[in-house]
Amino acid sequence: MEELDTVNLVRVMSDDSIHSSLSSDSCEYYQTEIFDQLPSVQACRLEQNRQSLLEASEANQDGPEPRENISHGHLSRGPKDKASTRPLRNLVMCIQGKRNARDRRKMQISNIGFWDSWRRSQSIYMKRVMAQMGGALKGLLPWQQTLRTINGRFGVGVKAYFVFLRYLVFLNLLHCALISGFILGPTAFYGSSAHLKFGANDSVLDFFLGTGYLDRSPVFFGFYTRGSLNLPCLNTPLLYLAGIFTILFLSLIMVVRRTVVGYKHTWILGKQYSVNVSYKIFCGWDFSIQDRASATLKRSFIRNDLKLFLEEQSFSLREAQRTLPQKVRLYLLRFIFNLIVLSLLGGAFYLIYFATKTSQNMSASEHHWMVSLVLQYLPPITITFVNLFLPHMFRKISSFEDYSFTTQVNATLLRSIFLKLASLGIYLFFVFDQTKNQPCRENIFGREMYKLSNFNFLATLCNAFLFSYPRKLLQEKYPSSLLAHLSGKQHFLIPFNVLDLVYSQTVSWVGVYYCPLLPLIGTVTLMATFYIKKFTVLRCCVAEQRMLRGSSSSVLFHFMLLLGLIMAAVTLGVNFWIPNTNTFSCGPFGNGGSLFNVTGECVARLPSSAQTTLRYLSSEAFALPLILTEVIILTSYVSRGRANQKAIERLKDMLVLSSSDKRFLVKQHATMLRRQKNTGRVRGAAIKEDNPRNNSTVPPSTRTN
Amino acid sequence: MISLYLQDCTYFTRKEILRLFYRYRDLAPQLVPLDYTNHPDVKLPYELIGSMPELKDNPFRQRIAEVFSEDGEGNMTLDDFLDMFSVLSEMAPRDLKAYYAFKIYDFNNDDFICKSDLEKTLNKLTRNELTEDEVRMVCEKVIDEADLDNDGRLSLEDFQHMIVRAPEFLR
Repeated sequence: MEELDTVNLVRVMSDDSIHSSLSSDSCEYYQTEIFDQLPSVQACRLEQNRQSLLEASEANQDGPEPRENISHGHLSRGPKDKASTRPLRNLVMCIQGKRNARDRRKMQISNIGFWDSWRRSQSIYMKRVMAQMGGALKGLLPWQQTLRTINGRFGVGVKAYFVFLRYLVFLNLLHCALISGFILGPTAFYGSSAHLKFGANDSVLDFFLGTGYLDRSPVFFGFYTRGSLNLPCLNTPLLYLAGIFTILFLSLIMVVRRTVVGYKHTWILGKQYSVNVSYKIFCGWDFSIQDRASATLKRSFIRNDLKLFLEEQSFSLREAQRTLPQKVRLYLLRFIFNLIVLSLLGGAFYLIYFATKTSQNMSASEHHWMVSLVLQYLPPITITFVNLFLPHMFRKISSFEDYSFTTQVNATLLRSIFLKLASLGIYLFFVFDQTKNQPCRENIFGREMYKLSNFNFLATLCNAFLFSYPRKLLQEKYPSSLLAHLSGKQHFLIPFNVLDLVYSQTVSWVGVYYCPLLPLIGTVTLMATFYIKKFTVLRCCVAEQRMLRGSSSSVLFHFMLLLGLIMAAVTLGVNFWIPNTNTFSCGPFGNGGSLFNVTGECVARLPSSAQTTLRYLSSEAFALPLILTEVIILTSYVSRGRANQKAIERLKDMLVLSSSDKRFLVKQHATMLRRQKNTGRVRGAAIKEDNPRNNSTVPPSTRTN
Repeated sequence: MISLYLQDCTYFTRKEILRLFYRYRDLAPQLVPLDYTNHPDVKLPYELIGSMPELKDNPFRQRIAEVFSEDGEGNMTLDDFLDMFSVLSEMAPRDLKAYYAFKIYDFNNDDFICKSDLEKTLNKLTRNELTEDEVRMVCEKVIDEADLDNDGRLSLEDFQHMIVRAPEFLR
């Protein structure tokens, strides 16, 4: 007998569960008489009658009838009250049963007092009202019908893109509301009454370039002045700052919440990119499908999903069988491809630098208006083209690197995310660098962000109407031509489209301080993008056969949104920290003001206790205990999580062992009963039960490893 | 005509119940009377129910009809009909749907989803397009993922536990 303290409770894959050592029929165990009498099986079978039985025993009013079947602790008095106020429609029984329950409850109501019955009916009404309100609110969400159509024709992934787009529209609307409250409102009431008039040099081009008329309008930072609202703690610059910080803070909370929820789901699923095949099979079918075409499509989705899973299994099998020389060659290949990717990125950054320098240098000299328009827009054009072509090249590269499909998609996404964020960051750095000594630098930044945002939208428009639609016409009219073969069928590439959305939102966040009306522009362009993309998807695209693994990529997208937000905050921080030695400063901080001046003034007027508290909070003496507290809290959560994980593993093992104990005992019992019957029937013939297992009389749980 | 109990027992409003009644009647106008005050005992055969556009393309339509019908053969009375659509509607809560889904996928009605049930589910879902080897691999993976007490089949608790963990992130 081994020492009990070295028992290692591993998950016993006992073949008791699949074969039977006593007979060849593995299902025989489930049909034995004693199995039906086991308490756990009886509890399962009577689960659905629990409510009706309890209610019957209530109505009978003669105390808890001790039926043999329900003599379990968990079926006693505790949940009874909840059960009888549970809505009838949630009970698991047919309508006749529910009707009887309803009549019984009505009888009950006449037996109990007035106060109890009033309370009960009130709770029922409240539940009904809440349910109806929830339903009404859901109906208010726009574009529900479109989303349902898209879901039916293209699947859940494409619908998720449109849901994300709608979420961003709401986010931008929220930003607009905050801006009008904090910034536009006070300026309208207390601002200087400089009326906007078309000056001599203004033209329509100003709307594209952000100069002239637009430069003086509320679109840019320079318009806002100190104004007549001049209380120490309530003035326009402070409100402006408060508005921007509120926007960033709220966005941070919302994005973090969505990222964490998604990450928790991915983590709960177990492994990082795990495949929940059981979910796909049991919840894969959409029960609202009503036409043959959608049914065929859904079936092909499910089949392709399963084939993808099988492919990944065979890929991991192949991966495990790689020999050493193959591995070395593969790693060398991957290293070379990564170098290629880095050089492509470097080339892209140099191109952006070149475009920025050209644009800045050429703007001084006089050109024809079209040439100057193109020159002004040169950096956004370069950035957009780089962001358009390089991700497709990354996709091609990752297909040569011999990863599984999910890893390929994620590698492409990571590289594209890095490209987009880094190109934006580098562009901002170049602009910052080159406009060191120019008046009203904030307006220049705002102008660049405005142009970038405009051009992104223009690119989306052109992509849909000049590229997707002709391609679809080509496929329809000349399906056998060479060009049609080369271009292939159009699919709606979800990752790249989501990246575009996230990128435009990042631009909006980075630019909101310098160009406060950017969220308004963002809302309008996002709504237009919804309709454009709807047109592209419904008219020009064919459903993609290979489905993207949903949850892990969604986490990546929200993480990129978070990164964009962090970049916006960092840009803002850098702008505040670098002392503005410019004598021609503009905007609400004009005349030598800055963030620190304005807040310093406000703090100086607060009562002295508040001042000392604030000073303490911003000093180093507070930062250290704060960090220590956070570290301690984090450690306690992590260790609690780990302890829970261990407890779950132990409980799982206990469950497995108890279950195999039960099966063993039932089989023994059945064998003995059968032996008795056989020896009773046929006295003479002794049935030799050749029992190959020598330790079959010992239950599994006592067989320690 | 439609008494209030139906509104309490299903997730439908009065108008929706009436609309469903007319759908039921349209399946067989000669069998279904307009006046239901005497609770006539009318059962529509499975073939009529299975030909409804909502169910026609559903690979599990036969099992759905069997689960919700009183006689277990798929022949439904008006009550069964309303009950079925009530549970299938958007407003039914998740755990109720999970319970009925378990019953639907349990082809041999033994309160457990065993391997043969799984194979039948998979074949109905993919219309026999996967090879036998592939079906076997997928079924093994499902049992591996969802079977908690390691008895080779899924009980109601295993099923509900698996449904609860399902990713909702993409809604």
